[in-house]
Formats: sequence, structure tokens, C-alpha cells
Amino acid sequence: MASQEKISVYNLADLKNTSDDAIPNYLNSLGFRQSHRLTDVRLGLGFSALALAAAAFAWDYKFGFDATKHLTAVAVAIYTLLNGALALWISHVERGTVYVGTSPGGEDVRISTSVDKNVPVYHVTVEITSKGGKKETLKIDRPFAEWFDEAGRFVAAPFQALFARGVPVIGKADPKRARAEEEGEKDTAAAAATAYTPEMLDVLAKATVASGVGSTSDAEATGATGVAKKGGKRRKA
Amino acid sequence: MLSSLQNPRQAAAQLLNFGLILSTAFMMWKGLSVVTDSPSPIVVVLSGSMEPAFQRGDLLLLWNRNLFEETNVGEVVVYNVKGKEIPIVHRIVRKFGTGPDAKLLTKGDNNAADDTELYARGQDYLTRKDIVGSVVAYMPFVGYVTIMLSEHPWLKTVMLGIMGLVVVLQRE
Repeated sequence: MASQEKISVYNLADLKNTSDDAIPNYLNSLGFRQSHRLTDVRLGLGFSALALAAAAFAWDYKFGFDATKHLTAVAVAIYTLLNGALALWISHVERGTVYVGTSPGGEDVRISTSVDKNVPVYHVTVEITSKGGKKETLKIDRPFAEWFDEAGRFVAAPFQALFARGVPVIGKADPKRARAEEEGEKDTAAAAATAYTPEMLDVLAKATVASGVGSTSDAEATGATGVAKKGGKRRKA
Repeated sequence: MLSSLQNPRQAAAQLLNFGLILSTAFMMWKGLSVVTDSPSPIVVVLSGSMEPAFQRGDLLLLWNRNLFEETNVGEVVVYNVKGKEIPIVHRIVRKFGTGPDAKLLTKGDNNAADDTELYARGQDYLTRKDIVGSVVAYMPFVGYVTIMLSEHPWLKTVMLGIMGLVVVLQRE
């Protein structure tokens, strides 16, 4: 369960990528059916552009510039269109989407994530379309320190609990994690973060945002609540 | 990084990102070629024969279309000579006739004699089709990197080594 690979906790891209990768793993393990349509369209656009450029290179190399310049002009135009379409697709259709799928109950779930530069907080947007077509959007903003320990290992339990608690559709599919919060956690250090009350986490999150530094700090990683409290206060001051 | 290779879509996406950097650079070059109608629209000055106009290492932007008027005396052009690899940047000093068959003579501003010595054996003049383009803009000194790289091949090894090191250290 705990992770295979260590990352640098000061590298925001690493934090985000590792977390992004964990979402499909988790949801698919709960019986969600993932849809790859967005990725496939992006790969299709990208690789056709790549193939076109490779062809242009080949005929230019083989027949020279003057013999092929009209063909090259057409290829350049099409390449520009394909690349423009790809850019639009990524910025307007994908919009940071890391997961699209259908829950065991039949609801469509779409999860997109983002981070702000130099702020170690994970912004998650969950769009749920129920079978009746009703749309619902949930937002979760949490510091990465809740599910990365100080060595940079990804800890699955608090991360999954975050989704199970925050998103009812996921909670229904994973009742154990959804309940973990209320009953108080006995899951050792791995789930230490979930031992905090939501208020405390908010204070911690604000403190982390305010200081604006990629501080994972010992506070969240160690189990003892007293230490955590002190750590939080000190940082706030 | 390595774990992402287990997922074929993610591996394909990473390959795509890398490929698109290369292909976009190539297509931008080709786009410039098509617009300027020149097989090599940007060249680097290799000799001092056009001083004081151009120094070694200057980057030149060429234009190879005659939209309004023909290529005329006084223009600085880049031309190729049959059997010689390296294009030459010199000024047109004489022109006989008009149209695509006009006979052109070139000379380097800093050279004592005209270019008949430089042409192929038995060739006394250039025609329009020998010309790769006329110089329309230049950027001083920027091209010196390529001169350094071609004259000191070991620099290429050093540069590749540094780039490889950066890639390994950054992992992204």
C-alpha cells in the first residue's frame, strides 16, 4: 500500500504527478470503469502531427527542397492546424482532467486537478453526472503534506480517505475509508493525518498557504497530536 | 518515471511530448523555408570577406522571392557553387541582362578581387537560380556558437554530456 517510489517533497510537479497517478489506481480498484477517450483523442492528434512532420522530413531529405516545396507548404499548414487543435483540446476540453470514468452505481465521474505555482496545495475538482443527467461539482483543496511523509513516500490511506469522505459516490464504493474518519483512526502512522479534526486541517492548510513555502514539515508526518499542534502554531506565528 | 512506462498511454504521451518538441522545431524551420522560398533561410557568416558589413558569426535572414523587383546590383546574396559544400555570402557588383538568365558577378566587400576565382571550373558568372536568397536582416554574433561547434568538435561532446546530465538530474 505504501509507495514504491520516493519523490522530492520540494518538487511540486512530482507531488502532483504522483497524486494524479494514484487517482486512477484507487478508483479502478473500487470497480470504477475508466474512460480513456480524452487521452486517446490527444494522442491521436499528437501522433498524426508527428507522422506528418516525419513524412515531410523524409520527402525533403529524399527529393530536396525545390521539388517538394508545395507539398511542404501544405504539410506545414496542416501541422499548424493539428497542433492548434491539440493545444485547444488540452486547454479547453481536458482542462487538467486526470480521470474520467463510471462508478459502479452508474454515475459519471470526472476529476481534474491543479496546483498553483509554489503553493503545495492540491486542488481537486470532481464533476459528477448522475444517471438522471443531474450535474454536481465538488471541490477539494488539501495540502500535499497530508498524504506524503517527510521522506517523500506516498501514503495511500489518507489520500484515499480524502476522496472517500469528500465525494459521496466514491464513499459509497469504499465505505471502509469513508468511515475511517468518524471512528477515529487506528491505522498507525500511515493515517496520522486523518486523526486531525477538519478544523485543524484547515488551520494547517491556511498556515501552509500563507507561508507560501513547500514545507511538508514534521507536523503532519509524525503521529503525536501534541507535536503536530505545536508545529502548526509555530508556523503560524 | 519508470513506473509510468507500465502504462502504455502514459508512455505514449511522454514519447509524444518529446517528439512534438523536435517536430515543431523542424516544421517551424520548414515553414520559414516555404515563406521565404529558400531551402536554407537562416545562415551563419563563416568568413570575414564581407567586413565591415558582416563579421564572422553573424546570423543572416534570407529572402528568395522577387515579388516587386529582380535581384539587382548592390544586394548581398548567398549563393551555392556546384561541387562546393559551403554557401557564400557576397555582394552583386555587375549584372548583364534581365530575367532569370541575367548574368551576375559577385564580390566580397573586403576582398581585393571579384569572385570568378571562387566559381566552379569554367564558370564565369552566376544566374538567379544559383542564389539561395538575399540578406534582409541580420543578428550580430549569435551564430558564433555553431562556428565554435563545427570548428571544435569536442565541444559537441561536452555539450551533449551536459544536456544528458541535466536530463538525468531533472527527470522531467
